[in-house]
Amino acid sequence: MIDTAIVVGIVRILFVCIIITAAYIISTRNLLSVVSVYALQSLTLVCIALALWSLEGSIVLLEIAVVTFISKVLIIPYFIATIQEKIRIKRDIEFHYLNPTTSLLISMALMLLIYMALARIMEGTPARESLFFFGAVLGISLMLMGMMVTFSRKRAITKVLGFLSMENGVLLFGMFVTELPFIIEFLIIIDLIILVILTAILSVGIDSTLEDYHKRLHRFHLLEESEEVP
Amino acid sequence: MILIAFVLVSVVSLFIIAAARNHRQMNTVCVAQALIFAILAAWIALFEQVPVVSFLVGSQYFFIDHLGLFEVLIATVIFACAAVYARGYVEGLLESGELEKGSLRLFYAAWALLLLVIVLAFFSDNLALFWIFAELTTIISAMLIAILAARENIDAAIKYIFIASISMLFAFVGFIFLFEVSRVHLGTGTLNWTVLMQHAAAFSPGMVIASFVLVFVGFAAKSGIFPFHTWLPEAHAKAPSAVSAILSGVLLNLGIYGIIRMYAIVHQTTAIATIAPMLTVFGILTIGIAALSMLPQKNLKKLVAFSSVENMGIMLVGLAISTPVALFWVLFHIMAHAFTKASLFFSSGILHRQYRSRFSSDAADEIKDVFRLQPLAAWGIILGGLAIIGMPPFPLFFSEFFIMLQLGAVSLWVLAVMLVLLFIAAVALGYFVLTTFTQVSAPDTPSDIEPYRTPASMKAPIIFLLVVLLVVGLVLPAWGMAFLNQIVTELKF
Repeated sequence: MIDTAIVVGIVRILFVCIIITAAYIISTRNLLSVVSVYALQSLTLVCIALALWSLEGSIVLLEIAVVTFISKVLIIPYFIATIQEKIRIKRDIEFHYLNPTTSLLISMALMLLIYMALARIMEGTPARESLFFFGAVLGISLMLMGMMVTFSRKRAITKVLGFLSMENGVLLFGMFVTELPFIIEFLIIIDLIILVILTAILSVGIDSTLEDYHKRLHRFHLLEESEEVP
Repeated sequence: MILIAFVLVSVVSLFIIAAARNHRQMNTVCVAQALIFAILAAWIALFEQVPVVSFLVGSQYFFIDHLGLFEVLIATVIFACAAVYARGYVEGLLESGELEKGSLRLFYAAWALLLLVIVLAFFSDNLALFWIFAELTTIISAMLIAILAARENIDAAIKYIFIASISMLFAFVGFIFLFEVSRVHLGTGTLNWTVLMQHAAAFSPGMVIASFVLVFVGFAAKSGIFPFHTWLPEAHAKAPSAVSAILSGVLLNLGIYGIIRMYAIVHQTTAIATIAPMLTVFGILTIGIAALSMLPQKNLKKLVAFSSVENMGIMLVGLAISTPVALFWVLFHIMAHAFTKASLFFSSGILHRQYRSRFSSDAADEIKDVFRLQPLAAWGIILGGLAIIGMPPFPLFFSEFFIMLQLGAVSLWVLAVMLVLLFIAAVALGYFVLTTFTQVSAPDTPSDIEPYRTPASMKAPIIFLLVVLLVVGLVLPAWGMAFLNQIVTELKF
C-alpha cells in the first residue's frame, strides 16, 4: 500500500489537471485538440479512480477505471476523430452568446458558487473530509463548464464534446460523493456511446454542406442500421 | 416472468422487421407487438396480484405496481393506434419521397425498440435504471424525428437530444444525492423506489430538496415544463404525425411519471412545504407561456404541441396541491390527455398530408375547403379541440374541473390566474379553427387542390380514440376509478 498522504497529494494534482483540461475545452478553437484534451480528461479520471481505489480498496472503483479507460479514452475519442475527418472541419470559431474569455470568468464564479452551495447542503452528512468535498465541488463545476460548452458552441460535434465533458463531471461527482453500484455506471456508458453515435451521425448531416448532405446521410444510415438491429 | 415475455416479443418483432421485405409486413409486426403488449398488460391488471412480486420482476431492479401498469396500458393503446395509423401515413410519406425506402427498416426497428424501452422504464423499480431507460427513449425518439432526413428535422432532433440529455444529467446528480441520503439513513445506499418509500419519512429535508430540484430539472425537460419546453414544439411539429402522437401521448407522460415518483418520496418529508409552491409556480408559468404562444400560432401541429405543454402545466399544478383527490384527477388527466392528444395529432396529420406546404413546416397552414376535402379530419380537430379545452362530456372536463376545485381550496388567486390562462388557450384553439376551417373557395370556381385519399387505416384510430374518450367521459367506469384509487394509496398520499 502506498502512503495515504502521497495518494492524497496525487489526487490534488489530478484535480488541477482536470480544471486545466476543462478550461482548455471551453476556450480553444481547434477542434482536433478538443478531442485529444477530452481523452486526456478521461484519462485523468481513470487515474483518480485508481488513486481512490488504492485508498479505499473498493473493487467498484477499479471496474469504473477499466470501463472508463476503454470507452472514454479509446473508443469515443477515436470515433469522434474519425467523424471529424469525414466532415473536414478543423476549427470551430463560431460562438453563441459567450466568447471564451467570458466563459472562463463565469466558470470561475460558478466554482465559487458551487463551493458555497455544496458546503451548505452537505453540512449534515458525516465524514466529509476536504478531499472528498473538493472532488464533489469539482465534479459539479466540470458539469456546468461542459454545459457552457454545449450552449456556446454552434457545431453539433463540439456540443457533443461539451456533453461528454459534463458526463465526466457527473462521474467525478459520483465517485467522490458516494459509491454507485457498478452495473449502473456500466449502463450509463452504453447509453453514452449510443448517444455519441447518433449525434455524430446527425451532425454529419448538419455540419457538412447541403449538396452532399443527402448522400452522406445515406452512407451513414447503413452504419446506423447495423448498430440498432440485433 | 412476465417481463421476459415483453422482451421476447420485442426481440421476435425486431427479427421479423429485419427480415421483412415490404412496408406492410413491418407495419403489421409493429401493430401486433403493441397489441400483444396491451394484452399482456391487461392480463397483469386483471389476473395478477399487483404489485407483482415474482421471480425477476420482484427483484431489486424491476417491479410492477398500479402506477406503472396504468402508464403501460395507456402507452400500449396509443402505440397500437399509432401503428395502425402509420400504415397509411408512412405509405404517403414514401409516395411523396419524404421518407426514403432505405430508412423504412430503421424507422420500424426504432419504433419497436421504443415501445419496449418505454415499458421497461415504467416497470423499473430502481430509479437509476429508470433514468437510463428514460435516456434511451430520448435517443430513440430523436431518431424517429430525424428519420425524415430534412434539415429542419435533424435540427429539431439535435435540439431535443441536447436539451433533454443535459437536463437528464442533472437528474442523475439528483439521484446521486438521493442515494447518499439513503446511505446516511440506512447504512447501505439504495435507489430502489419501494425501499425509499418505506423510509422516506426520516430523510433529512435539506438533501431531499436538493435532490428533488435536480431531478425535477431533468424530468421537466422530458415533459416540456417551462423553461425547458423549447425543444417540444419544434420536435412535435416536425416529427411524422404518427410519431408526434407517441411523443405527446406517451413520452411526455414518462417525464411526469418521474416527477410523480419523486414527489411521492418528497411528500413524506417536511421538504414538501418548499417543493409544493415551487411546482405551482412552474406549473402556472408553463400554462401561461403555452397559452400565450398558442394565441398567434398559425401552424396546426405547433398549436397542438403547445397545447401539450399547457396540459403538462395543469398536471404539475394538480400535483402541487398534493391532496389525494387532486392526485387522483391528475392521473385521470394523464390518461385523458394522452388519448385526446393522440387523436388530435392523427387528425392534424391527415390535414398535413392534404395541405402540406412544400418548403417548410414552419409556414402557416393554407387550409381551404376542409369540410369538402377532409370531413373526418376536420371533425376530428373540432371534437378533439373541444375535448382538449375541457368541454363536457369529454373526460378532460372532469379532471380540470376537480383539479381547479381542489386548487380553489388552497388559493383563489392562483385559481383565477389559471382560469384566465386556460381561457386564453381555449380561445387560441377556437380562433384557429374558426379562421382556417371557414375558408371556402367560391362555389363555381373549380378548386385546384387535389383531394388526398385518406386510407381507412388513418381514419380508424381517430374514431376509436374519440369513441373511447366519449365513453369514458359519459360512463366513468367504477373499476377504472378503483384502479386509480389504488395508485393513490400506493403513492401514500
